[in-house]
Amino acid sequence: MAQTPQYRKSLTLRHWIFLIAAALAILVILAFGYVNAAFPKVRCEAFKHLEAPEASSDCYTCHQKTSPKTAQDWLESKHGVNLVKCFVCHGQPDGKGSVPWAVKPDVDKTCRKCHDPSIRKMQKKYGADRDCSECHPFHNNSLHHAAYEKTKTKTTIE
Amino acid sequence: MKLSRRDFLKATAASSALMAVGSPMAFAADDKADKWVKGVCRFCGTGCGVMVGIHNGRAVQIKGDPNNHNAGFLCLKGALMVPIIYAKERVTDPMIRKNGKLTKVSWDEALNYTADKFKSVLKADGPGAVAYYGSGQALTEETYLASKIFKAGLKSNNVEGNPRLCMASAVGGYVTTYGKDEPMGSYDDIDAASCIFIIGSNTSECHPILFKRIAKRKQADPNVKIIVVDPRRTNTARIADLHVPFKPGTDLAILNAMAYHIIDEELDNSRFHGKYVNFMTNDKKKVDFEAYRKFLEDYTPEKAEKITGVKAATIRTMATWFAESPATMSLWCMGINQRIRGVWANNLISNLHLLTGHIGKPGATPFSLTGQPNACGGVRDTGGLSHLLPAGRLIKKKENRNEMEKLWGLPQDSLNPKPGLHTVALYNAIGEGKVKAVLMLCTNPAQSLPNVNKHRKALAREDTFLCLIEAFADAETMKFADVVLPPAFWCEREGVYGCSERRYALVDKAIEPPGQCRESVHILVDLAKRMDVDPKLVPYKSAEDVWNEWRKVSRPTPYNFYGMTRDRLRKASGIRWPCPTEDHPGTKIRYVRGKDPNVPADHPNKYFFYGKPDGKAVVWMRPYKGAAEEPDAAYPMVLTTGRVIDHWHTGTMTMKVPELKKSFPAAYVEVNTRDAKAKGINNGDIIKLTTRRGAMDLPARVSDVCLPGLVFVPFHYADKLINKLTLDAFDPGSKQPEYKICAVKIEKA
Repeated sequence: MAQTPQYRKSLTLRHWIFLIAAALAILVILAFGYVNAAFPKVRCEAFKHLEAPEASSDCYTCHQKTSPKTAQDWLESKHGVNLVKCFVCHGQPDGKGSVPWAVKPDVDKTCRKCHDPSIRKMQKKYGADRDCSECHPFHNNSLHHAAYEKTKTKTTIE
Repeated sequence: MKLSRRDFLKATAASSALMAVGSPMAFAADDKADKWVKGVCRFCGTGCGVMVGIHNGRAVQIKGDPNNHNAGFLCLKGALMVPIIYAKERVTDPMIRKNGKLTKVSWDEALNYTADKFKSVLKADGPGAVAYYGSGQALTEETYLASKIFKAGLKSNNVEGNPRLCMASAVGGYVTTYGKDEPMGSYDDIDAASCIFIIGSNTSECHPILFKRIAKRKQADPNVKIIVVDPRRTNTARIADLHVPFKPGTDLAILNAMAYHIIDEELDNSRFHGKYVNFMTNDKKKVDFEAYRKFLEDYTPEKAEKITGVKAATIRTMATWFAESPATMSLWCMGINQRIRGVWANNLISNLHLLTGHIGKPGATPFSLTGQPNACGGVRDTGGLSHLLPAGRLIKKKENRNEMEKLWGLPQDSLNPKPGLHTVALYNAIGEGKVKAVLMLCTNPAQSLPNVNKHRKALAREDTFLCLIEAFADAETMKFADVVLPPAFWCEREGVYGCSERRYALVDKAIEPPGQCRESVHILVDLAKRMDVDPKLVPYKSAEDVWNEWRKVSRPTPYNFYGMTRDRLRKASGIRWPCPTEDHPGTKIRYVRGKDPNVPADHPNKYFFYGKPDGKAVVWMRPYKGAAEEPDAAYPMVLTTGRVIDHWHTGTMTMKVPELKKSFPAAYVEVNTRDAKAKGINNGDIIKLTTRRGAMDLPARVSDVCLPGLVFVPFHYADKLINKLTLDAFDPGSKQPEYKICAVKIEKA
């Protein structure tokens, strides 16, 4: 390069600042734009999904650390006790599985696999096609919820 | 949002990686099913009803059948079956191995080549040199047909199948105790039981929908006691009131000690066992109750504690709960069956029920679980094993053979009176060059046999001809096949599956098979005719024709399901046999007057064990016997194998489902925290497992699931064939191998 030392000195700093800022901005926008489109509502945590693509349906192992409340809620729910694992409803994060990847599972494609009879019953009762999770939060239906205490039959062993 | 520099760099790298692999949102467009076809799940012996959703001739969705016993629910495997049907590994053309490579050929060439091989072996070495090795996953019609072709057509009793590896001991147990095979209860008993005794079964991972039903029962009534007896603290133990880990291989002592306590505390039902039970010694001598009580003195809870490692007080608690509950149900599976004394273990569980009278009432039953969708209906019932004829008849009994000869239109005394080779003996014979031509249907022995290295060598013999009817090209056994025939898979053809609770249900044809795939029933009929089997023996045009003959063959026996016409099966989501007439609803409880159509309505006694000459069941005096290979100084630990919920058997199906594959992508060894600490093993370290048969490196999962001294490895992974390390010692009664226990040494690799 043939610039004078003064010229280089006076502009390099500004140049550098500008270049770094621009590069940063573009990368951040690209990255977050993409991630937001690809993984709605989960944002940048989703990048962790790329760390072990071969184990991308082994959700619980990581999520007990990254989202302990959700993981614990699942574990204590009926789905957790019966080992209906995350991917059955949510798919796998690269979206290349057989279940569409979704934070909120599709009622028709997912819930109906097992709960078709109940969904039909609810539709008959309330008419509209509602999202199951409005009244039945997915991860909070504990095996030991009220139904556990309220039934007492004659089959007591003591 | 805060991002450290490291995170940022990772994120940048990740985003470019994502862009490189393409859009992550590339799943199928709208594929809503417009037609639903009824079927049965392809996986375990629970036999859940499923509905296959069809759109434009393609299966697009699966949901549970609300009218079957599973009431619409499915486990994670059942809910994700669709990708298996369309796997790229499907075999779609017949192939012959030419110059070491499987080469596509026409159906005619493949069938003629196979038939010629069989004919030349039959001519040179006789019927003892040919064999059929089938599966508890084949349809009932397929196994019935294959068994008939070999036993009646080729006069070879070398008809075996993988059910020998999974439920032969349960058959032995039921037959020796009650005289007839198959459970007397049903899944409905779970809803009525007040104590559920689970031993040797990880129900939660191996039969998830039954576990769900058990959990529901527990939830409906917290007073229901659940006992889980298992050396591993599995997910099944999560809902247990009592989880009892014990030294592997000592279950016989636990069961005898429970019987001791029941009698000692006078918790037995002497009215029941006084009237309906014979006590018998191990060498079949009838004795009285007093002699049995004396025999049990060797198994006081204190003595058993020394053998089993289970506290005497715990054994007493279990026995008390078992006996005092209004209705107790036992459930067991491979932990009991895959043992050197599996039949005895089965007998001892039945003993507890016969002593307490917990039998033949809603919620009270000894119930054996099976691992495959059609091991019960398909293989046990149709007689698809080397010592059996259809519907519980035995080859060694002349009157049974003569009856079958009549039913099959054969001259009297023309069936081969000598039972064939059982599975381990069969593969030994292949290894010795005594069996030279084998037809295999729907099973993967090169991965699933115990001590598999030895048997892989047998299959690899130059002079062994192996014809495989197999849907997936990546099955291990494919490497040894000389001819491969492509079958229609699961819902690509119709046929019956029979699950653990004697329920027969029809898998309807939902879609067309791909490529040149043909229904196995047609393949078998075609092959039989080319092997010069009398065409009158195989006059079938469809699976329905085979079914209608099989119904008639069952009619003179206590299996009688003559009333299950194809039409009924098309409408109903399964019917439980006995079902003698078309208006019979099926049977929930056997051996009980008014419930089992085989017991005359005017029978003087409520219970009638009609399989036994005097109508009485047997309490057997089976002594304690340990495993075939106990740990010692050189191999100080115990290796056990089994399943995880995400995968099934040799993984040829579940590895095709991306979610299931990636949930448990690789084999591992489960090590107890205490053992890991002693050996300096951390989670993820590579561990070398060595047994007398081989060694294998596996990553460790350190946890408290296994009892100290025990390690567990799942058997699903073709790249880590853990069966190279397992032992092929087998139960002398049932000939079922002891997969569950062998001695192992572990060290950091």
